[in-house]
Amino acid sequence: MYSHDIVIVGSGLAGLRAAMELVGQLDVAVVTKVYPSRSHSGAAQGGVAAALGNVDDDSVEAHIYDTVKGSDFLGDQDAIEILCSDAPRTIYEMEHLGCPFSRTDDHKINQRAFGGHSYLRACFSADRTGHALLHTLVEQTYKQGGRLRVYSEWHMNRLIIQDGVCRGVVVMDIKTGKLEVLRAKAVLFASGGYGQAFKITSNAAANTGDGIVAAYRAGVPLQDMEFVQFHPTGLYEHGILLTEGARGEGGYLINADGDRFMSRYAPSKMELGPRDIVSRSEQTEINEGRGAGPNKDYVLLDLRHLGKQKIMERLPQVYNLAKDFIGVDCTEDPVPIQPTAHYSMGGIPADNDCQVYLDENGEHVEGFFVAGECSCTSVHGANRLGTNSLLEALVFGRRAGKKMLDAEPGLARAAVDEERELAAARDEIEVLYAGDGSEDLNAIRDELKETMTYQLGVYRCAEDMQQAQHTIKGLRERFRKVQVKNRGKQFNLNLLETLELSNMLEYSELIVDGGLAREESRGAHFRSDFSTRDDVNWLRHTLAFRTDDGGHELRYKPVTITRFQPEERKY
Amino acid sequence: MAVSKVTFRIQRFDPAVDREPHDQDFEIELPPGITILKALNKIRAEKDPTLALRYSCGSAICGSCAVRVNGHARLACKTQVSDCTTNGVLRVGPIGNLEVLRDLVVDMEPFLASLDRVKPYLVAGNGAAPEYERKQSPDEFLKIDPSTTCILCAACYSDCNVLAVDDDFVGPASLAKAHRFIFDSRDVDTADRMRAISEKTGVWDCTHCGECSTRCPTETKPLERIEEIRTKAMTDGFHGNPGARHALGFRETVGKRGLLDENYLPARSMGFLNLPGLLSLVPIGLRMVMRGKNPPLIPHSIDKVDEVKKTFARFEELRK
Amino acid sequence: MKYALYTGCVANGAGRENLIATRLACEKLGIELVEMTDAACCGAGVINEDNPMVADILNARTFSLAEAQGLDIMNICTTCQGIHRKAQRKLDGKPDYMARVNAELERDTGRRYKGEVVVKHFYEVLLNDYGLVRLKEKVVRPLTGLKLGAFYGCYATRPPEVNDLGNPDDPDELEKLIEALGATPVRYDERLKCCGFPIAMLNKENSMQLGGNAIASAQQAGADAMVTPCPLCHLNLDAYQPDIESRVGRKLRMPILHIPQLVAMALGVSKDAVRLDTHIVRPTGMLAS
Repeated sequence: MYSHDIVIVGSGLAGLRAAMELVGQLDVAVVTKVYPSRSHSGAAQGGVAAALGNVDDDSVEAHIYDTVKGSDFLGDQDAIEILCSDAPRTIYEMEHLGCPFSRTDDHKINQRAFGGHSYLRACFSADRTGHALLHTLVEQTYKQGGRLRVYSEWHMNRLIIQDGVCRGVVVMDIKTGKLEVLRAKAVLFASGGYGQAFKITSNAAANTGDGIVAAYRAGVPLQDMEFVQFHPTGLYEHGILLTEGARGEGGYLINADGDRFMSRYAPSKMELGPRDIVSRSEQTEINEGRGAGPNKDYVLLDLRHLGKQKIMERLPQVYNLAKDFIGVDCTEDPVPIQPTAHYSMGGIPADNDCQVYLDENGEHVEGFFVAGECSCTSVHGANRLGTNSLLEALVFGRRAGKKMLDAEPGLARAAVDEERELAAARDEIEVLYAGDGSEDLNAIRDELKETMTYQLGVYRCAEDMQQAQHTIKGLRERFRKVQVKNRGKQFNLNLLETLELSNMLEYSELIVDGGLAREESRGAHFRSDFSTRDDVNWLRHTLAFRTDDGGHELRYKPVTITRFQPEERKY
Repeated sequence: MAVSKVTFRIQRFDPAVDREPHDQDFEIELPPGITILKALNKIRAEKDPTLALRYSCGSAICGSCAVRVNGHARLACKTQVSDCTTNGVLRVGPIGNLEVLRDLVVDMEPFLASLDRVKPYLVAGNGAAPEYERKQSPDEFLKIDPSTTCILCAACYSDCNVLAVDDDFVGPASLAKAHRFIFDSRDVDTADRMRAISEKTGVWDCTHCGECSTRCPTETKPLERIEEIRTKAMTDGFHGNPGARHALGFRETVGKRGLLDENYLPARSMGFLNLPGLLSLVPIGLRMVMRGKNPPLIPHSIDKVDEVKKTFARFEELRK
Repeated sequence: MKYALYTGCVANGAGRENLIATRLACEKLGIELVEMTDAACCGAGVINEDNPMVADILNARTFSLAEAQGLDIMNICTTCQGIHRKAQRKLDGKPDYMARVNAELERDTGRRYKGEVVVKHFYEVLLNDYGLVRLKEKVVRPLTGLKLGAFYGCYATRPPEVNDLGNPDDPDELEKLIEALGATPVRYDERLKCCGFPIAMLNKENSMQLGGNAIASAQQAGADAMVTPCPLCHLNLDAYQPDIESRVGRKLRMPILHIPQLVAMALGVSKDAVRLDTHIVRPTGMLAS
């Protein structure tokens, strides 16, 4: 058993930023199932939002409004105020730490257009903004001279909460298979999203919701799980993200007939409408037979008119991705794209200082914090605007760090029954080895992903979701008969994937049930059978609580509204 | 959909049971357009669940999946199987110059530690919370743009010829990382960085073999960055080492005669006051004399040498 | 067939047997060579780092000299060849930069680089211009039974954009040439690695170890001798072989040949004439006089 003051699970932007706030003052450890530079924050491309006003007359107020509207009014406005107010400071701080930003002619940080933002506020580093920010923080870890302990390639199996107090985590060293308890006064989860439950996703293989499920199993509710954002421009069949920046730089979306179809769906914003609207527009074109390709199952991103020089300078990664993965030269041909499961608005509920809620009444778990994509504060509500996620991770990563530093003197390193926790973790694993093997891990996973993509996708309806509910229940039953075939201890991907599938099955049920229960369309959750937004009945967050029989119950809590009353969301 | 049979010859190693790595063949049917990563995962799913490899994003940004394909480092996620098969076979092994932990997984610690040797973070002076960004021109950004694309995949480190014989060499990734800060207009530590990088195991220990840039999957291209560091070292006067003196030797002789003076060059590189170094040149010198291959003592000039002298002279002036 | 022969710096001294053998081989083949006695050093990668623009001017100057004669350039060193191709690619790909270089060049020489000249190595001339079928017909003393390991060297294979190898990661051009001359090509693991020459004076231990790895690998695969298209590789592997032996702690005794020597001998030129006697490592077996 190892002891630290603070244990952070997740080494992306939120986790590392929190660590920077604490290192040198407390004994802080970061646990990650990959290496920090491999965290999925690095895949973000288009930009990070802040009302710097470097290229136009932007304001924090406008940023707040755009974000609230973008959230389809489900976002908690006090949290959004914090997000947007802290944005300029955050960007300047990252620049000072060394983050390379693309620059204007007068040498300031350059900013460009982005979907749903009414001003040019996306600060960017070519089209690798997430990579630039992540590596800046990774560089900072080299400055710490051993004061920051990083457990790389350790999987987090269990969260230890006992008597309302968070005491640590149980982790497994992927290199050796060894289980350990990490005891702490406070634990921060910055463990990212859950897009891997979908077949077409931009998410890394690591994004299997380990953190949210561990919290959920430890008695913490999960909020707004049904809100999954589908990014409009995922590379056909791979789901790899082609940045929204491509549209920000002037790219067109066209159907098989060469029409810029967005004129019919978002006439004023066109390709720069918010993601949910653009994704649905694409799906509609495909559903109505105007999709391109032999199976008519994709639309096209056309960059040709931007010219080779602009593409190579502003969108080099887009160029390389299209060429390397599907052999398309985007300077000469339009690129096949389809909506891809991209961002998880849902997650672990927390207050504006990142302290986790135990229920809908404001009760907290002592010593448990969350930040970044795995949290739900909620700054994104029913739909996230692009460039706000990198911002959220930095702003709330820092806030979580500050709060933990502040709270630490009052937190006890509560007792942990090491043997019991290790035994529970071991049992969980033994069960997976004990399956009779009549079911196949990969078949179940593939079926889950197909179900989620086609029945919990851009368009939803009761029939589809009920079918999905039924399917997933069946998959959970069949999952018991899966047997881990690899008995090795080192780098046992077979075991890891089986643990991850168990997580995916668990949270997928919450997505389906939350979606089925929510009889309205809001943001990324669109139902063809309830196609309008219903603020009278549904202006509220969904909270899913695990029940003793392994099922769950849904409860609700209100949205915090400060400045902007809900209005019709048109672009 | 047309499928083809491909044999993957994969290097396996299980430290629990193997003394040595060994190859294992997997014959598998693959659809066209499939990447090596997807194929490896197919093998794991259908043939052997014990195969170990690293991967995460599947989109060439996280750097996890570098492997050696037919002996050369590549990212598995963005490499087409069809580009790498000869007679239906392709070989996959772990990347080089790092200890194999299990199958295709290597110990990344020495690689990550090598970065530590070049102070891989901006040094810009402390201060209160910044109110605005530091200024930097678009051209200044372009100078560091290539080296900031590095995804730490270690493909360059894997195939570096010098690291294969000397693990004290700081390595191409570290040199590219050093470049990123040396050329960042906001960094104030340039002189120290240049001094440090000019020492033994640093930038002059690269043998210029080009493997790093050839294997690099991003725009980082370490060899080009190494060349730029060396150019700066020559321009800024960091000349107190054999590598820089070697370059001065070229400048001095080619500038005078259009050709290298092979008698002068080795001595110049060693340093004229470096007695042990100079003495170490004697054996090879003698060998060449005995075979009648010693370069002419009175060095030879090219025809029209004045053209060359003019160019060198003018650039010498510009240097001052 | 007529070429402007770019000899490079080493050809006058430490690698003179390469130039001698080239002249003899080309005489037998009827390839006319006009030696570029006015061409300057290619920079060898070193001047190119010291002052990139000066190196580009020197190379543009070389190109302009050949263009003035209306001839393509033939190299006998793959380092020169690689550097020339890199320079050409840089100039041809950046018209603005080429204009600046030409301005300097014109100022000092009155000539400009037109972008017309083609630069080839001797082995490329044989494979592509002369043709192996024709070459085979001229072979009078096939090198039957000689097991040769081709050592390509860095500049012949990397970067892949500046060479014309079919598969730079697994080339067979030199092996084909060896076969055409009647010898047996031997492939070995280290044939595409670095000989260590660039750091011979800068980090001798590493340089010698690299050379040692290459030779040991060829030996293990059964090669009687190694052959290389780069006289700098030849220098490191042959002239420094005693130092390599000190480093690896055992005798290697691996003869190292230049491509033109091989070709000349197969065409009937005597071993003495191709100056095998200048090598540090005495040729053995069928190569011995």
